[in-house]
Amino acid sequence: MEFYFGLAQIIGIHVILGLSAYVLMLTGQLSLAQAGFFAIGAYSAGILTVLFQFHIVPALIIASLVAGLFAFLIGFPALRVRGLMLVVATIAFSEVVRLFFFNLSWRKTIDGIEAGPDSTNGFREIRFFAANGWEPYQVTLFVWLFVALVMFLIWWSDRARSGAVLRAVGEDELAAHSVGINITAVKVAAMTAGGMIAGIGGALYAHTATYVDHLTFTILLGTFAIAYPILGGLRSVFGTLLAVVLIQGVLVEGLRALGDWRNILFGVIIILTMNLKPGGLFDTQTVQALRKGLAFRDKGAPNA
Amino acid sequence: MFYPKNLAGLLPAAACVVMLLLPGLSQAQERTVKIAGWGAKSGPLRSFGVNSEAVLKAAVESINAAGGVSLGDGTRAMMEMEYYDSACNADQAISVARKVASQTEALIGIGPTCSGAAAAMYGIFQKNVDNSGDTGLQFPILTDTAIRPGLAKKSQWTFRNVPNEINMYDELFAWLRENHPDVKTIYGGTETNQAHSKLTFAKVIVQMATKHGFEWVGGGIDGLTGKIGSGSDQVLETTKASNWLMEDTNFSVQARAFKKSRADMLIVSSHPFTTCGMLKEMKRQRVRPKVLVGLTSSSSQETLLGCAAEAEGMYIPTGFAPVTSVAKRVAKAATANGGFADLHSAAAWENAWIIKQVVEETGIMAKPSTLAADRRKMRDGLEALDNVDGLLGSVGRVRDEGESIKPFVFVQATGGQWVVVHDPRN
Amino acid sequence: MEDFWIEAIELTQSVIDGLLFGSTYALIGIGFTLIFGAMHKLNMTYAAASIAGAYVGLVVFVFFSAHPLLVFAVSSLASGLIGLLVYLICFRFIPVNNHLAALMATVGALFFIDEVIIHITNASPLAFPALFGAASFDLGAVWIRGDLLFVFAASVASTAALLYVLYRTRLGLATRAVSQQNVAAQLCGIDVHRTNATTFVVAGLLGGIAGAMTAASVGVLSPLLTLPITVKGLIVTVVGGLGSIPGAIIAGLMVGAAENVFLYLRGVNERDIYVLLLLFVFLVFRPNGIFGKSINRD
Repeated sequence: MEFYFGLAQIIGIHVILGLSAYVLMLTGQLSLAQAGFFAIGAYSAGILTVLFQFHIVPALIIASLVAGLFAFLIGFPALRVRGLMLVVATIAFSEVVRLFFFNLSWRKTIDGIEAGPDSTNGFREIRFFAANGWEPYQVTLFVWLFVALVMFLIWWSDRARSGAVLRAVGEDELAAHSVGINITAVKVAAMTAGGMIAGIGGALYAHTATYVDHLTFTILLGTFAIAYPILGGLRSVFGTLLAVVLIQGVLVEGLRALGDWRNILFGVIIILTMNLKPGGLFDTQTVQALRKGLAFRDKGAPNA
Repeated sequence: MFYPKNLAGLLPAAACVVMLLLPGLSQAQERTVKIAGWGAKSGPLRSFGVNSEAVLKAAVESINAAGGVSLGDGTRAMMEMEYYDSACNADQAISVARKVASQTEALIGIGPTCSGAAAAMYGIFQKNVDNSGDTGLQFPILTDTAIRPGLAKKSQWTFRNVPNEINMYDELFAWLRENHPDVKTIYGGTETNQAHSKLTFAKVIVQMATKHGFEWVGGGIDGLTGKIGSGSDQVLETTKASNWLMEDTNFSVQARAFKKSRADMLIVSSHPFTTCGMLKEMKRQRVRPKVLVGLTSSSSQETLLGCAAEAEGMYIPTGFAPVTSVAKRVAKAATANGGFADLHSAAAWENAWIIKQVVEETGIMAKPSTLAADRRKMRDGLEALDNVDGLLGSVGRVRDEGESIKPFVFVQATGGQWVVVHDPRN
Repeated sequence: MEDFWIEAIELTQSVIDGLLFGSTYALIGIGFTLIFGAMHKLNMTYAAASIAGAYVGLVVFVFFSAHPLLVFAVSSLASGLIGLLVYLICFRFIPVNNHLAALMATVGALFFIDEVIIHITNASPLAFPALFGAASFDLGAVWIRGDLLFVFAASVASTAALLYVLYRTRLGLATRAVSQQNVAAQLCGIDVHRTNATTFVVAGLLGGIAGAMTAASVGVLSPLLTLPITVKGLIVTVVGGLGSIPGAIIAGLMVGAAENVFLYLRGVNERDIYVLLLLFVFLVFRPNGIFGKSINRD
């Protein structure tokens, strides 16, 4: 069972990572900075629980706020540009963050053991869960509590005015501007929300993995963050969930027996999906098909 | 009629034999010593996983060919190995560890090959055995390739069989002192974003060289003595060593610093890709040191594939070379399995044989019902080992740290081959 | 005073080395910018395809001991072919207005190419032949690497050829037409798909040369090269201005030189931070790059 709990933790954390990119993508912006916010969350929370002996909950909240603050601050200059420029600007940001942690050494002696970030050597001993007797199922519940919270908030705001505003900016900035929407404010708000969400994901990651170093937060992680919502589709948060389950659950874990072939398969699957379902797996078509199927079962007859 | 009576008498006897054999047969089928290996078989460090799997497979085959493993009740069981790809990824290494521990009957795990993944994976294990407040995983690990210093003491369930670089470089510089009396000054650099290369350079190599009377060019380094780790921050200062990153492609500034130093001995502490890039640039700039020393991880086939000509003359201490008859056999078997036996992967062979030894010494039963107890016996057995037979001779175990002290030799790149130039075992 | 001169010479040498090595960045940047100029889309596979081309060239070298010049030619052709395939599987059948899907498909192709190389070579670094590897020019206090000078000359020559094709041939006219006004070009009878496919092949041919040049100047070919080259190529494209070929060249040389100067002055741990901050400054103060026209589409 422990293995499935562990897998559920990985899936949950990647869903949070994917959703952090999803928020900004609703406004039509593509950001590769999520790996940077994720790193800030991971290191902040780790430093708080290890060096300052915080409980995980306040550490996680603070980490999320710190990551959100950085997203807010870089949102203003970065969102002056868009498209490819924004992609490159956010790559630059997340690389600077990574290089900062690559150079960061902050060691303190805690309970007779030297602990804390140690530049290239990484940040070990982030063992809050195991050291405090949390069973794997409890950790999984804890992770999924945040997954559910983030998913619900995004799903709910998507149905409220705020979601309409985000999507309006994404569809046509000029039109959105002409109906009185403050484009910059909306984009920066989305960036900040994405940063906070990524911060939560990073904080959870650091504590389930017990160890982080700068190599965890490369451009590859940022690419995965945008890959989940694109593969899943931007229609709904469930698309991202579906994509993470397919990639982390089925491809990486389920097909482990295929060894290195599954990495080759990964590329093929992405290409095929984008050709056959450019709007993502969970697009309008899929949703309609699902609705029809459900309706068929409920009423026992096709919709008239 | 004589004949049928005799046959009738034989029947019960035959039945008896069959009945005696049957449980034995079925037991032999059921009872296998299962072990699991995992490592990077995808991503840029794929060679680690491929080599480790090839050697491990060869080791298991050789154990089975020699009659398998004898269990606690005297039954002989075959060894069975399953190998998983965990890339060089912390998530995946942890996931495989959990899978193997909770979904399979493996008695022990061998992996992961990457130090970063190992540093993360070891953290999910129970720190101290019998600490019921610690919910970490209770499953023994005996890692082969991941060499970054000081990892295994993280948990009492984790063990490693990797070279101890302090001893290796201590002996190497002692030998160089003796054989190159004209060499006085040293200079070098490392790939600073690769933890193993950097730590070994800044905390071990430079200090061991100092210990044996070599001096860093330009009047030494503040705080640097022959003590491990001394002055390590100063060593990496830009004004001292000239360093690079592990994916760098342009080494002109570093090679110029190497040349300008005019040191007698140069040290290139990095893995094959940048070792080759750096050596090629050094050759272009006509940097010709009297002695060239490399990181133990570069004593592999990859360096020869990338830059055999430029590596010519480089000295490296290594925990594996085909110098004994069994080492030669391992090298051959690994190649047959599609990999190479080198200082990293050869340990996988020793690990399989160590496991066999521990199973036999601790009376492991290898029954599904004794799984938890067997794993505990395996851990305790590994902890209790003082030394084991290795490919190059006796391998010492470091109690409480879970680490090894392995015998080693010094090799030099000569004509596209690693040639053993000195064997401290003699 | 003497110290000052030694420092000055060292710095000059660092700048020269950096500028020359930057010409490989420039070649990759040109490819990115060419495709971006034609389709207003990002092809993340480009650098990986260039390295893959170099691997094909290496096959010719290892198994037929071909002359380095032939190795370069084969690398270029192979990369051109891969470029065509990438266009077919990542752009041709994906709706034109869906930028995300095309981008993601090229990321998929990047993973695919990288992993195939890793699978075949076991990710081992392989020696790559250099053209004029032994040549060097001593200019008194400083010296110039012969092979990098050749790379530099090749990038200038390729650019000249490219500019000729773009501005003096029918193909170039069509490419520019498609790039500026897609629909109008179609109305004028230009086959958009064919034009785009040709652009990918041309960019690929160039990329193959860049891949082989990079491998030759490092002396080793490894799948580790793809990610840093992709990032450098993107930076060069943005600094040079989207769609600007001369911009990409100057930006490539600039990034190469800046890297080496920061390395020399601040050490390797801080080098990339400064380069990225420089990029940030460019993005904020000159978002259209050195030569970029004001582009408001993405």
